[in-house]
Amino acid sequence: MTSLYPGFRYDADKEAISEARAKALESLLIEKGVITGKTVDQVLSYFDTEMGPFNGAKLVARAWVDPEFKKLLLEDCNAACEMLDLPNGMSGAEGEHMRIVENTADVHNVVVCTLCSCYPWPTLGLPPYWFKDPTFRARVVREPRVVLGEFGVQLSDSVNIRIWDSSAQIRWWVLPMRPEGTESLSEEELAKLLTPEAMMGVALVKAKSE
Amino acid sequence: MKLQHNLGGLEGLDPVNTEPRVFVEDWEQRIFGIHTAMMALSNHLDKSLPDYDISQVPSTFDSFWSWAHLREGAENIHPFDYFRLRYYEKWLGGISGFFVEEGYITEDELNERAALILKDMADNKSTELPEGGDPAIDTQVEKYLREGDSPKRSTGITPKFNVGDTVRIKTISAGTHSRLPGNLQGRIAQVMEVYEESYTYFYETADGLGTPMPVYNLAFKAEDLWEQSLIEPGSIYYNDIFEAYIEPA
Repeated sequence: MTSLYPGFRYDADKEAISEARAKALESLLIEKGVITGKTVDQVLSYFDTEMGPFNGAKLVARAWVDPEFKKLLLEDCNAACEMLDLPNGMSGAEGEHMRIVENTADVHNVVVCTLCSCYPWPTLGLPPYWFKDPTFRARVVREPRVVLGEFGVQLSDSVNIRIWDSSAQIRWWVLPMRPEGTESLSEEELAKLLTPEAMMGVALVKAKSE
Repeated sequence: MKLQHNLGGLEGLDPVNTEPRVFVEDWEQRIFGIHTAMMALSNHLDKSLPDYDISQVPSTFDSFWSWAHLREGAENIHPFDYFRLRYYEKWLGGISGFFVEEGYITEDELNERAALILKDMADNKSTELPEGGDPAIDTQVEKYLREGDSPKRSTGITPKFNVGDTVRIKTISAGTHSRLPGNLQGRIAQVMEVYEESYTYFYETADGLGTPMPVYNLAFKAEDLWEQSLIEPGSIYYNDIFEAYIEPA
């Protein structure tokens, strides 16, 4: 869980207060015609069913089995998205300009947004807490190997690390290495192995899904 | 120097929090939904690339709201509050404040309604959200999600720098909102890519963003960014930097 600096003092019921304030705000906005009674649920449903890491997983799995597709994905991610049967909107909000970088035996890539939490919504959905955490944002740019170790990723000394920060229009993500022992898996089974962490560079893909 | 723009490389921090959930409390989802709707209903969308007929959307929201507004709300608070408050707590504070400032609600209305809801919660009663509203609002929100708001603009501007150039990041005052990580100021980098066309930012920042300009992917060597003691040898840090932040080395 998040570490609470002992110098800060928190209300014991701060979550209840935030919940009440968020509900009060949403209620007033509906009553005043800013949004409808369905707006927030519709937004949330979109990320549950249409835009999420399941899209990125399909793209990576295809890239693993099809070298021509992999080439396109690396050169023009948004164009590659149009080639697969993915929902309408892969170049929509926070996906207008996506780029993917490939992990190899010699190079390991990790993505960060030091200023906020820029994240490729159409391929990976919404950012996890670890990506939004100021500790990750501050430390990964300087001591990436140590930070990766804290995520359970041990890289050999010969692997060089590349950190991709997102301070402008590009939304970066990572094409992880295909694990050994997956030669007999179908594309669908390969897609099940992918996690958002692996597709941002803070996890390696395991040959069996958890 | 603004701490919020200078997190990169901060020493003495804890091990990372590896929490994989997007939201750790249900209420966080609600403020996320509200922010997304605000972006989808923003009055600046009539100038966006997709064909949004935003003035025809029957929402009472007629303000300008973008990622820049949300980010500035977080960057412009007391630096210690930036860490004391969790990610969506900053959103809730910033967005509530915006609706009060813009006159959609009053502080009293919000406080009174929150107090009623809190009382219901204490009595184990669930407060229902209001129903209804014009479906055309939700049509626009969905359209925005699928079509986005690309900052790319065709301007014919010639980029000042080319691939392979060695450049320096300017030393400039950040103001209340910046897209330049402060720890990069004054540092040397190499231009790896010149992005096609120009890119605008949502609004004008004190440090020079706002009008469409070239953006570059720059590569920084670890030894050019950090003191020897903590660097990762052989690592390269890349970032996409607006031209306004770059000068020749």
